[in-house]
Amino acid sequence: MNTPPVASRSMEKGAIPSAQNNPWKLGTPWIWLLGAGLSVLVLMLFWLVGLLFLRGTLAFWPGDLWALRMQDGTVYLGEIRKEEPVPGRPGVSRLQVRIGNRDVYGVDFIWVARDRVVQMARLQGAVFIERRQWGPFIGFVAAVRTPEGVVSGQRAFEAFMRHLEPAHRRYEAILALEKGDIGDVNYAMEQIRLRRARAERLGQREVIARLEETLHHLEARYRELAERARRLRQEDARYTVELRTIEGRSRTLPISEVIRAYRPNDLDMAGKMGVYAARLWEFFSSEPRESNTEGGVFPAIFGTVMMTLLMSVFVVPFGVMAALYMHEYAQRSWILSAVRIAVNNLAGVPSIVFGIFGLGFFVYLLGGHIDRLLYPERLPTPTFGTGGILWASLTLALLVAPVVIVATEEALAAVPQSLREASLSLGATKWQTIWRIVLPGASPGILTGMILAVARGAGEVAPLMLVGVVKLAPELPFDHNPPFFHLERKFMHLGFHIYDVGFQSPNVEAATPMVFATALLLVLVVLILNLTAIQIRNRLRRRYRFG
Amino acid sequence: MRRYSWLCLLLLAACKGGSDRTQADISAFVDTTEAALGGLYAISVDPDLPEYRPKAGVAGTLSSIGSDTMNNLMALWAEEFRKYYPNVKIEVEGKGSSTAPPALIQGTAQLGPMSRPMKASEQDAFEKAFGYPPTEVSVALDGLAVFVHKDNPIDCLTLPQIDAIFSKTRLLGYPQDIRTWGDLGLSGEWANRPISLYGRNSASGTYGFFKDHALGGGDFKDNVKEQPGSASVVQGVSVDPNGIGYSGIGFVTSGVKTVSVANKEGDPCFAPTPENVYSSRYSLWRPLYIYINRKPNGEMDPLVREFLNFVLSKQGQEVVIRDGYLPLHTDMLKAERRKLGLDPDNT
Repeated sequence: MNTPPVASRSMEKGAIPSAQNNPWKLGTPWIWLLGAGLSVLVLMLFWLVGLLFLRGTLAFWPGDLWALRMQDGTVYLGEIRKEEPVPGRPGVSRLQVRIGNRDVYGVDFIWVARDRVVQMARLQGAVFIERRQWGPFIGFVAAVRTPEGVVSGQRAFEAFMRHLEPAHRRYEAILALEKGDIGDVNYAMEQIRLRRARAERLGQREVIARLEETLHHLEARYRELAERARRLRQEDARYTVELRTIEGRSRTLPISEVIRAYRPNDLDMAGKMGVYAARLWEFFSSEPRESNTEGGVFPAIFGTVMMTLLMSVFVVPFGVMAALYMHEYAQRSWILSAVRIAVNNLAGVPSIVFGIFGLGFFVYLLGGHIDRLLYPERLPTPTFGTGGILWASLTLALLVAPVVIVATEEALAAVPQSLREASLSLGATKWQTIWRIVLPGASPGILTGMILAVARGAGEVAPLMLVGVVKLAPELPFDHNPPFFHLERKFMHLGFHIYDVGFQSPNVEAATPMVFATALLLVLVVLILNLTAIQIRNRLRRRYRFG
Repeated sequence: MRRYSWLCLLLLAACKGGSDRTQADISAFVDTTEAALGGLYAISVDPDLPEYRPKAGVAGTLSSIGSDTMNNLMALWAEEFRKYYPNVKIEVEGKGSSTAPPALIQGTAQLGPMSRPMKASEQDAFEKAFGYPPTEVSVALDGLAVFVHKDNPIDCLTLPQIDAIFSKTRLLGYPQDIRTWGDLGLSGEWANRPISLYGRNSASGTYGFFKDHALGGGDFKDNVKEQPGSASVVQGVSVDPNGIGYSGIGFVTSGVKTVSVANKEGDPCFAPTPENVYSSRYSLWRPLYIYINRKPNGEMDPLVREFLNFVLSKQGQEVVIRDGYLPLHTDMLKAERRKLGLDPDNT
């Protein structure tokens, strides 16, 4: 394999020409094979990401609204989503139309054969309205009713758009009042109730009396806030919009129920881009609606990132400690080999087994005991005795521990022996050497292990389903109520969201784009977590370069 | 094909030919409005159902563990309920009906949604723990539909035929096995097409119900493609022209067609519409339940009581429709309210 010096090469060339010219011996075909393997891999990756990107992002594009009149006189109005040939009828195609108005028609999509359509046109003034409930409404704005009066006819849409912004402000005010202020009061009341239950158990009379008093104050405050919320809702209900479908059935709803309204047929490219951007932003930043088939995925992004970070916080110190002991201190014996083999084998255990272990050990055993010791007044409602983000992160930490341990051991082995010896020769103890010389030197390698662990952990779903992931978590595991991190809370996760929306959602046709978009997002989140870790690693590498 | 049509959306002008590129005014379509009601109607609730009115001082945490069929429904109810009581917390977990009884017994959940009635063994376990049986509340109806691909010409199947399609035991007595669409009387190109079967995994309540009611308790064929969710059954059928599958009527999409069902040979066929379900002429339906732990003659947990009060109201039943299930018939709803000690006409 060694390259011979130039002088002798020409001599050898004459002596054994076959070895130099035979492509098999040179390995050319193998190089081609390697290249081909890599290209297939890259192509597949591009195909996957491309598919996710196309189907995940194009769905947010506002399509034109087409009116179709059928031979039998039926009319439909909607977005044309697909066109495919009708089997058995050459030359005839059919269109899939998203007609929306699920509260009126009962279905969101229909198929119509192209040859049954007698008239087809983009209707001027047709409105696409995204609602908080029942999915989109496709039709026309017939009238807007406000305390200032009724606007109908041609000017109804403009009036409606004018009232939309204030309606959103009212909606947000109600939300802020109910979730924020009333939420805080309720949280405080719940805490007091629990403290009272504890005081009752301990028989502290005067404490109970004091808590009762606070509770009365809070109740009065609650009543005041609830009354304010009620009045706001009443005020909000006076602003309504009457919508009409193309065949003339009408629906009236509060303007604040509308999230967004636009007339795609009258929009230019820039207008459409605006709607597209607004929808994308909504997807990233808002909470899911309509049992996760609409709205955004913010709680799932938050849950995924927080769980992955928590997992890293648990697994990295423990993994590094284990590896340090095994590599630096442990005697070479059969026990060490056995432990090493066990750790390596742990990496091959199916993830669902870790999930079951997490459920049995963390949730039922540990969690159950914690509840009995620390939260007896809440029983039988479990606090830690049910799945939560803490248990999920710990379970995943176990799952990825082998990755971190193996990577750390390799990194420790890569620190040159001469460095340790130099340190020891200057009078440092072994611990000082490890702490000051070996660990910093190994830190880039340790971070590589962490990167691998994060990538594995963020994409894992199966074990999480047993230890704390839910379809819809009412609260984020982090908020402004002390102690800020609520590790006992259940959480949402992008991977589980994909599974749930793809397989369980009732309105699967409308939800499919969400599945692709969420999958794309999960890939992005893993990418960002990885890039961050790589950035840190590179910085460390520059700092502790040997030789 | 799909991807091309997405591009079409972007480059609409390039894909749609000829005259229909022009914009038209609504007046061009208005003259047809009388004839235009295209037969598409959503189900609506009985306006006489009691309207829900929020109460004062409702707060706390509710946990629901149980059926995955009802996962969405519970989530939607939770969402709506929280509009009345902003800081009531409701956690919804749906891993299957069988997870409800243990959760109720251990107290990890106050609500146990189930898409089938509790088995005797589950009831016994509950009674052993508390000394009284769990309380069963019907909260919605689920019409189970048989789906075929939208191009499939078949309109009606008898229960024995369905049994012979899905089951290897044929307990309902159809004389021979049905393997191709030709065996069901379809002609032409359909005659030799094999039937491709889609179903649910055995942990699901839908699987159990279909087995008991459509197969007479017999066994499924081995070549049923078991799916992890009802939505994926429908999706499987919608991309497989030879496919047939079963799941809740609410999961219907534009890619599939629901088949009417006759109870036996010679009987009339009935589609899974609300009227046919209420009158039991369509036989593949089941109630959906929420089980709760309620001491006999004791006070119900106020939060659970209020939640059920909401579920069994007009607003609660509207949510049922939104999720694609059928609301309880008015009489059934009032009977359930009475059973829980709620005023049948007023919330």
